[in-house]
Amino acid sequence: MKPLLQVSNLTTHFDTQDGIVKAVEGVSYDVNVGETIALVGESGCGKTVSALSIVRLIAEPPGKIVSGEVFFEGADLLKLSQDEIRKVRGAKISMIFQEPLTSLNPVLTIGRQLSEGLEYHKQLSSQDAEREAINLLKMVGIPHPETRIHDYPHQFSGGMRQRVMIAIAIACKPPLVIADEPTTAVDVTIQAQLLELIKGISREYNTALILITHNLGVVARYAHRVFVMYAGKIVEYGTALEVYHRPLHPYTAGLLASVPRLDEPRKTRLLPIKDQPPDLIALPPGCAFYARCDHANDGCGSKKPVLMEVAKGHFSACWVAQKGLKPWQKKSS
Amino acid sequence: MAVASQSIAVPVRAHHTLWGDAIVRLRRNKLAMAGLAFIILLSVVAILAPLLTPYGFADQNYNDILQGPSWKHLLGTDQLGRDTFARLIYGARTSLSVGIFTQFIVLCIGLPLGAIAGYAGGRTDNFIMRFVDVMYAFPDLLLVILLSSVFYGTKFGGSIYMLFLAIGLVAWVNISRLVRGQILSLKTRDFVSAARAMGGMGRYITWRHLLPNALGPVIVSVTFNIPRAIFTEAALSYIGIGVKPPTPSWGAMIQDGFNLIFAKPYMLLFPAIALALLMLSFTFLGDGLRDALDPKLRR
Amino acid sequence: MAKEVIIEVNNLTKYFPIVKGFLRPKVVAEVKAVDGVNLAIHKGETMGLVGESGCGKTTLGKSVLQLYRPTSGEVIFEGKDLTQLSDKELRPLRQKLQIIFQDPYDSLNPRFTALDIVGEPLRIHNLMKGKQYNDRVAELLDLVGLAPYMAERYPHEFSGGQRQRLGVARALALQPKFIVCDEPLSALDVSIQAQIINLLDDLQEKFGVAYLFISHDLSVVRHISDRVGVMYLGKLVEISNRDELYKNPLHPYTQALLSAVPIPDPEVEGKRQVIVLKGEVPSPINPPSGCVFHPRCYRAFKDCPMIIPLLADAGGGHQVACLLYKGSYP
Repeated sequence: MKPLLQVSNLTTHFDTQDGIVKAVEGVSYDVNVGETIALVGESGCGKTVSALSIVRLIAEPPGKIVSGEVFFEGADLLKLSQDEIRKVRGAKISMIFQEPLTSLNPVLTIGRQLSEGLEYHKQLSSQDAEREAINLLKMVGIPHPETRIHDYPHQFSGGMRQRVMIAIAIACKPPLVIADEPTTAVDVTIQAQLLELIKGISREYNTALILITHNLGVVARYAHRVFVMYAGKIVEYGTALEVYHRPLHPYTAGLLASVPRLDEPRKTRLLPIKDQPPDLIALPPGCAFYARCDHANDGCGSKKPVLMEVAKGHFSACWVAQKGLKPWQKKSS
Repeated sequence: MAVASQSIAVPVRAHHTLWGDAIVRLRRNKLAMAGLAFIILLSVVAILAPLLTPYGFADQNYNDILQGPSWKHLLGTDQLGRDTFARLIYGARTSLSVGIFTQFIVLCIGLPLGAIAGYAGGRTDNFIMRFVDVMYAFPDLLLVILLSSVFYGTKFGGSIYMLFLAIGLVAWVNISRLVRGQILSLKTRDFVSAARAMGGMGRYITWRHLLPNALGPVIVSVTFNIPRAIFTEAALSYIGIGVKPPTPSWGAMIQDGFNLIFAKPYMLLFPAIALALLMLSFTFLGDGLRDALDPKLRR
Repeated sequence: MAKEVIIEVNNLTKYFPIVKGFLRPKVVAEVKAVDGVNLAIHKGETMGLVGESGCGKTTLGKSVLQLYRPTSGEVIFEGKDLTQLSDKELRPLRQKLQIIFQDPYDSLNPRFTALDIVGEPLRIHNLMKGKQYNDRVAELLDLVGLAPYMAERYPHEFSGGQRQRLGVARALALQPKFIVCDEPLSALDVSIQAQIINLLDDLQEKFGVAYLFISHDLSVVRHISDRVGVMYLGKLVEISNRDELYKNPLHPYTQALLSAVPIPDPEVEGKRQVIVLKGEVPSPINPPSGCVFHPRCYRAFKDCPMIIPLLADAGGGHQVACLLYKGSYP
């Protein structure tokens, strides 16, 4: 079955005072209808930039989408005109951002912000749009929606604001929603509420979801497939189960080993990954993870690895893994 | 013995200080650099004035009154036969010194008041700020005129020091508000809490932590204050209560030129252009500084 | 093995007044950030404090160090009640009490070099100068895994994890007995968090310093703490030894909190049942009556809105404030 969204070899750079930041380098991933995929990685790995590039929300200086294609509903989004891409944003692909304080306009009422999209994309009259806005607020669990549509963002709590963001995102029932760290700024119990809400909505409307996060637990709970990013590239991908139980890249394995888990007995010492991520302006030749890798061999430092299928449906960009070795996996599974 | 020796950390980017960064950005701003160049040029000219012209600014030559620009008098003469070029470059001394030295008074009053108000908070803050509000309510030019006329009667009226005082005593309000605002926002920053947690007391914190970080906007504000002060001096001299003649002032020259505007337009033109250029230069420089010192504008 | 108590917090409250009016300011309401908390921290121990935003854990940490002056209650350290001491009297004691902040950028003065930052405690207390000072700073930098030549650099030249190490080095400069770690990992990447946790662990082992480890990350707290307290809306609702709390959470809020934390394993997650609390955390200005958790509690019953539960002993050092347990009735 043809995927709903196909990102192909996307490359996005930023021109800064210190040099060119290669935020995203040749990244490819796809999302199927109704599927939830996760883009996992730490800060600076390029996951957010790749998502913003999909809907062309990159500020053109200093950023630049250098190359690649993004196929969605038969068209390459990167080649659309400004008008055309605007019709896609909100109606076909919508985004939920991390910080609801800055993504909601503080001087417009919630109702206004909800209706905006409805009036623009669905050509609803303002009364119809208002009625739909009330419906949406009800759907995301905001009590007393009829009065709340006249309130301003600052009158809502953080969790409520995120619900409003979710409502805005699903207003036009888009087939694809991109959620960029949607729960990082909220508490763990609110996170549970919001994610269950998103899961419920995506099930009901068969919405595909790109979940961008650094939280390995959230990914394990909600994603079908996982793409692990590091230093602007995808280093591993596969189903969630596969990637978590049989990681094929030392970075993934390192991440999983460094996070304390509530369901396992307490380790006396955590196993961190040494050093820190590389500078995206001065990337080393060869594998970007080489300096921090405990299982590298000599070739890793000079040749950049390419993504290859190492197990069924499970891809890895690691020379060692591609040779069939998995020294980081202790249990043989 | 390093406890966490498995993670020896190396620095991320090339070494650069915050000020160094700002200077690089400033250098890139062509208008600001042009402004700075003009200011430096004018300052040099003003300092070297005696070497650049054979005429004194008060030398009257009744044989040569109201001459146009010529080889003898580069920019012509005024109604008393004084060489315009000489008066212009000596006048630059007046303008520049008023512009710059008033800022010392401004900083001496505005900085401490703003810092005390910001750090102490509560009643002290309230009291000082209400006083500032009252000062703010007066139109500054009128207040300066009032002070000047009061000083004029005294024995040091008409001297440049009187002008420093008159202008400085009115212009500090801006800075105090600015400093207070900066300190208020810096007070809540974690590094200030850290200093308190270490046992740092009020004066130490204000001096070592708060003020250095508040400097950026203060520098910019001072740079914008200078052309204002220059203009105020010119305006005062224009209406006759600035520096006492024969001390040259561009404002007085503009006044003289204004009277003869139809007969000898160049008399007005030269000081007016000089004044405009100087003010613009400081404004461009101030703009450039503000952009350079704003860390968020780093690309 | 009974260890001595180095910090004792008794009935600590911190209310922030909301003042309206200009000429005759009046207090119209109070934010009850911390509402009667008791804690005892032993030498060399790590007391973990968890809770979500608004629960008062950060305010509690800062109030213990007198960065906020408590509204009432006592903080006993070395036999003295810190709340009764003036800033000047606190100064010498401050050498032994330190804090590591959450934001590794904000907690460092951007105009100070690393040398200035780490050595500041030494300068403030006039303890060392010249070569001795430089040597001590180099020693501290090495202790936290930073190369001594980096002492000349500015905070913006370091990464987040490195800045946090600077914060740790600074906190250690005066060999404190007690450090409040206020969410020290929240601003860091996952792979760096583990580095800092290990660092804190090692330093505790080496120097015997006690930590009050404040965090919203339950997995991390479980790893590093000896005892753990759970806070909600300014009150301590449960406190126990670490293993006991995680194995046998008694308070419904603790149970919900633990269930809400996703575990990085899709297989395990597939089998879990998530307890989703309804509603939001109420405002600390107007906390609910009786048990502050009752509006969101899935096990609330008729007594809950009416009676404030007390922290009761449930055996083995495990205390809980919930009317489901008879001991909590006053």
